[in-house]
Formats: sequence, C-alpha cells, structure tokens
Amino acid sequence: MSSSLAADPRTAGPGGAAGGATAAADPAGPRPGRATVRRRNLRTGLLFISPWIVGVLIFIVYPVAYSIGLSFTRYSGMEAPTWVGVQNYVTAAADPLVRTAVGNTLFYAVIAVPLGLLVALTLAIAMNQNVREVALYRTIFYAPSLIPAFAMSFIFIVFLNPQFGAFNQVINLFGGPNVNLLGDPTGVKIAIILMAQLGAGNAALIFLAGLRNIPRTIYEAARVDGAGPIRQFAAITFPLLTPVLLFNLITGVSGALQVFTEAYIVTNGTGDPDAGALFYMMYLYKNAFGFAELGYASALAVLLFLAGLALALLIYWLSRRFVNYDVEAG
Amino acid sequence: MISRRSFLTGATASSLALGLGSCASSPEAGPGVIRYWGVGAADKDKDEQVREAFLATDAGRDVEIYIDQVPSSGVADMSSIITAVRGGTAPDLWWMDRFNAVQNASIGLLEPLDELIERFEEVSVPEFTSQWIQFAVDELTYDGRLYGLPCTTDARGLMYNEDVLRDAGVDLDMFDPEQHVITWDELGEAVEKIVQIDDRGNYTRFGFAPWLGEGWPYTWAFGLDAQAYDNDTATVTLDSPEWESVFQLYADWAERFPYASVDAFFATYQPPNAPPTQTAMFSGRLGIDTTGPWQISGNEKYAPDLPLKFTYLPVAQDGDPTYTWSGGQCLVIPRGANITKALWEFLKFYAGFEGQSMVVPQYGNLPTNVRAIEEGNYNPEAELFRTMLPNSTSRPPLPVGSAMWDTLTRTRSSVALGSRTPAEAVADNQAMIAPKMELFEGYRMPDTYGQPSTRLDP
Repeated sequence: MSSSLAADPRTAGPGGAAGGATAAADPAGPRPGRATVRRRNLRTGLLFISPWIVGVLIFIVYPVAYSIGLSFTRYSGMEAPTWVGVQNYVTAAADPLVRTAVGNTLFYAVIAVPLGLLVALTLAIAMNQNVREVALYRTIFYAPSLIPAFAMSFIFIVFLNPQFGAFNQVINLFGGPNVNLLGDPTGVKIAIILMAQLGAGNAALIFLAGLRNIPRTIYEAARVDGAGPIRQFAAITFPLLTPVLLFNLITGVSGALQVFTEAYIVTNGTGDPDAGALFYMMYLYKNAFGFAELGYASALAVLLFLAGLALALLIYWLSRRFVNYDVEAG
Repeated sequence: MISRRSFLTGATASSLALGLGSCASSPEAGPGVIRYWGVGAADKDKDEQVREAFLATDAGRDVEIYIDQVPSSGVADMSSIITAVRGGTAPDLWWMDRFNAVQNASIGLLEPLDELIERFEEVSVPEFTSQWIQFAVDELTYDGRLYGLPCTTDARGLMYNEDVLRDAGVDLDMFDPEQHVITWDELGEAVEKIVQIDDRGNYTRFGFAPWLGEGWPYTWAFGLDAQAYDNDTATVTLDSPEWESVFQLYADWAERFPYASVDAFFATYQPPNAPPTQTAMFSGRLGIDTTGPWQISGNEKYAPDLPLKFTYLPVAQDGDPTYTWSGGQCLVIPRGANITKALWEFLKFYAGFEGQSMVVPQYGNLPTNVRAIEEGNYNPEAELFRTMLPNSTSRPPLPVGSAMWDTLTRTRSSVALGSRTPAEAVADNQAMIAPKMELFEGYRMPDTYGQPSTRLDP
C-alpha cells in the first residue's frame, strides 16, 4: 500500500512535479501509465474505505435485500418463510390501521419537521452571537439533545401531568382549564411533537456550522449598503444556509417517518388513546414482534423505505429552486 | 490521582471480569445443565428458592441450573426469545405468560411436551395433566399437543376501599361477597356518590370505570356471554351482538363519566409507568377498581393499613351468576433447548405441587396444581378468588391471541372516547382478526375450553 502511495506523484508530498521528474529518471523502470495509476488509486481508495463498504453491505444492503425478500412471504421468524407473492402489500393497502398509522406519522412530520427546523435555526442564531459567554449558551442549548428519548419521555409524562405538571400550572395561571394532552388522540401527537423539539440541538449545531461558514465580508458589505438585521437575514443568511437547510430537512423527514421511542413509552406500547399515537414504526414493530408477522412487517418496512426515498427525491428536486450553493467557504 | 498504569490495569481487569461474567452466564449444554429464563429480577429470590429445593432432591443431584432474568413481556414483544432461539442461545426453560403459549406454539417457538410425558412419566398426557386445573391446561394446548406446564393463576374481581365507600355514604353490605353480588346499576349509583369534583371541574376522587385496571373487553365479555371464536364453525365471532353489548357498556359509562375526565384523573394520581406505591387506590382517591389476587402482596407491602376488600365482578341483574377469567404463568421449553431428563424433572418440580406450594403464597396469586389448591397453599387473603376458580376460564387459546387482545383494547378506548360506536368497534375487530384466523383453517380450541372445572370443589 505504501509503495502505491509513493509511486503516485499526487501523493508524493510537496513538489509533486519534482517527484515525477525523479520517477521518470528512476532506473528501476518507466513511469507507470495514467490508467495504471488510476487503478492503483482506486484500489487504495477502496481499501481505505473498505470497513465502511463491508459495514454497509452487511448491516444495510443485506438486511434491506433480505427484508424485501421477506415482504413477499408469510414468516413468523421460526418456520421457513412461505411465498405469498404480493399478498402482504395487498393486505397493507386494505389495512385500516396502516391508514391510521400513516395519517398519524404525516401529522407528526408535517408539524414536527418545519417546527424543528425553525427551533434549530433559532438556537443556532442564538449560539452564534458574538458575546463572551457564548460557549455557555451553546452548552445550555445543546444539553437537552443529550437526554435519551426514553428519559425525555418520562420527564414529559410528569411535565404534562394534568394536575401537578408545569404545563398545566402555566395554563392555570392564565385561567385556562387543565388539559390532559396524553389522554387525547390529537393531544398525544402534539405532546410528542413538543418533546421532539428538545432534540433540536443536533440540527442547530449543523446550522451553526453553516452560519460560521458565511463570510463576514458579505455582512460588512451589506451594512455599508444600509441593510438592517432583518434584511441581512433574508438576503444573506437564509439563502446561504439553504444547503444546510436541505440536509436538515432530509434528515428531519427521515427521522419523522421513523418516530417510535417517545410514542412507545408515553403510551405503554399501545399507541392509544384511540390509536392516536400509533405511528407507522410502532405498527410495524407490533406486527413484527407482537404478532410474529415478520413478512407483513417487512412489507410495511419496504413501503416506508420507498416513501422515504420518494420524499427525499422530491425534496432534492424542489431544492433546485431554493438551495443556493454560491458561497462555500468563508 | 490514578496513574496511567493503574488505570490500564483496572480497565483490563474490568474487561476480563465482564468477559468471564458473560461466559459464566452461557454454560455449555450438558446432561445435567439447565439454562433457565426466570420470572424477572424483582422475584428472582423465588426462582432461587425453587432451584435450591430441587437441587436438594434425588432428581436434582449433579444438576446445574443457571438462571438469567429475561422475563416474558406479556403480549407485547417476543423479540428476545425469538432472537435467542434463532441465534442458538435459547434457554432450556422459560417462564412465560400462559396467554402467549398457543401463539408461540403456532409459530414453532416451543417444544411439545407430549413425548416427554410418555417417555419419562409412562402415563398418558391427559392422565398426567389431570394434576392441574383444566382451563390452565387448555391454554397450553395447541392442535391437540401440550406446550408447557401451568404455574400460577388468578381471577378477576372488584377491589374497594371501605374508608372511601363509607365516607361517600355507600352501603358496604352491597359489596360484601357473602351477602350480595353488586349489579351494574348499583355500581353506577355508588360511583355517583363517591365522585368529588374541584372548582375547575377535575375529579379529585373517583369511583370506578369499566376501562380501568383489569377492565379489559374480555373481562366483561365473560359476563355477557360474548365468545371470540366458534369451534363448530371455526369462525371468529367478534362482531356478535354480545360483543356489541360489551362495548355498549363502555359507551354508556363514558356518557355518565367522560373518558377524558377519568383519564385526566388517572394521569394525575396514577400516571403511566408510575411506581407501584403511586396508585389512586393507595392515595385514597379511588373507591373501586377491577383487579385480581396479585394485588394482595402489593396491598400488604405498600398499604397495610388501608381497608381494601374484594368482591365479585358486577352482574347485569340481581341473581345473575358470577363470572371471571384467569390468566397466569407457565413454564415452557423453547425450541433448540437441551432437552434432558434433568430438565424434565426440574420443570415438573417447579410447575408441580412442590414448586407451586413454595412460590405461589409469596405472589398472592393462586396455584394451578389441584393438590396445592386443595391443601390451601396460597395466601389466605386470596380465598375469595380461589372460590371463583371452578367456574373460571382462560382467554380463548387462539394462535392470533396478541392481535386479538390488541384490537379489543384499542377499540375499547375508541368507544370510550366516542370516536367509534359499539357497532363500528365490533365490525373493526372482526375485520382485523377474521382474516388472520383464515390462515388456521378449521382450527379448534380444546373441547373442554370454557367448561367448568370438574377437578375442583366449588
């Protein structure tokens, strides 16, 4: 491997041209052809990323392919799978709980993703302020993201307690009635959406990196031209953050389609009341491990995969209209 | 200050200890080695008592029993056991919720015991299983074969707090099981008296709701003669008028005591995943709840001074027969187990008279072993529930048990919330389960299912 690297003029360190000249005069033989070098580079590159390739093949490609295969079978996890063709997909199309689960998941995604982006962007702007104690603010804003989802769910159960929870205490201060969000099919979804916002720190860090990437000179030029903070945000910050926004949007949508842990804990794994928190992944999980219908669960997983892929492609397509790659480094 | 050398030495030692520890919990299979997944960490002392008692017997000589606490998780999740079986690391013996037995047997997760009984006991299966209550054996029978031995059981009834009822002016004699079996109408009137509401309209004291505690659709179905499956026609019957009346009961109650208000009350005083000490009953805010004898040990432990009593489930009309249903645990042999004579002897010991007599009184539950019942080897406080056993039965032993439980529970909340009518709920349930049962064409539950036990005196 090291010999390959040494033979490559582009990796021979500073003065590559000189290195090439040295190689040309090498008495050991003529300089390898461009195609040979390219092959060597490819081999070396593949060798370096082989752990990733092996990992993807074993832990992603194989399970996905296996799951696609299982989706055409009836399989309990124990006996040999029985081929049923597209029956599982037909069943999914007619299953009223699939429709409920899709509706719940879309409800969550449509509200939680834009809200999450807004919260994350706000946090990132706060983290980017030029004040002395900014490091402390960054830590405080990011800290909730470190709390595991299951722990956060328990905290929320207490927070939303209809009588003693802080949420209702605030409502009571304004004379409102006690609200039991977790006891209402829509309320429980809203509670889970609110809970998700406490994990906005991760997206905020990515936004922060994007903010730090915008050259200061552009703002200085804008100020000279008389642009105020709002105008600067609308004309500079937001357009130049759109590549980061695209990344956070796609990961946010992907995460929203897979919402599971919080709903599983606050509803004790039932998805109730009235299937209000029966998200798609929960229904998939129930079918796989509660009802031992792994074939049907695999079909649901394939449908989720396709839906996620379609949404990602749609976002990419739309991104051509709103993503601005004009400035890449400051 | 820890030196680098000390840190590395400590880290190496810890890693070795962890490695050796994990090796110790996966012993090599052998003729006298039993790997057992027990009842759960909170009750591991019971497992250990039975193990020590068994090892002291002739059958237990030279036997090694390794216990891991990987408890069965009700109807929710079979992933741990399926993964272990598929991974070749299945336990030899598993303590499991009996309700899951038929479904687990239907997917090939469990080993049938019939051959072991014939080989080691040299008697017929019916003769051998006559040691246990019939409904518990039925719940472990799939396609005519036995897939486990029953351990504990229970029954459902009402628990009430005498102080709360007395304070509300409710006649306590109506709740005395020796004098009266309460009707739904009488129960409703009692609840009206118990309920207290604050100035913001929140319940601060509540009486009873049929969807709380053990108020599952099955619970009331047994009192309203609603059957889930017809053996003769091999069809699911979840859309029968009797089932509609079960859901009507929820709808009627929610009309008098709105689901949202009751739910807010419970979320306040007994939130999800609350510790066992934090119940609305223990804090004196709930008058009546549907529960079973397992509650006795909790009462004795966490509320020994509260006057908590038990009575029968409510009936429609004065003089109607009482009813209930029983769940419980069992011991099964997962596929891939190291099946030996030692394993069989331990299974028989634990689920038999000796094992049940040892652990059941500590749980507060009831034994399934007929001799243990007859000799009174259970908590005396559970006597009322013991009298219910001869006429009790289990939930229907069907290979789609989990899905059926799931849909019944979901539509219960739909009806109580008012988003579905009882007629719509039973139609949903039928539509959800009937296609799943079509995969088991001609399936028959044991013929004795639902029949009163002839092995116990009333």
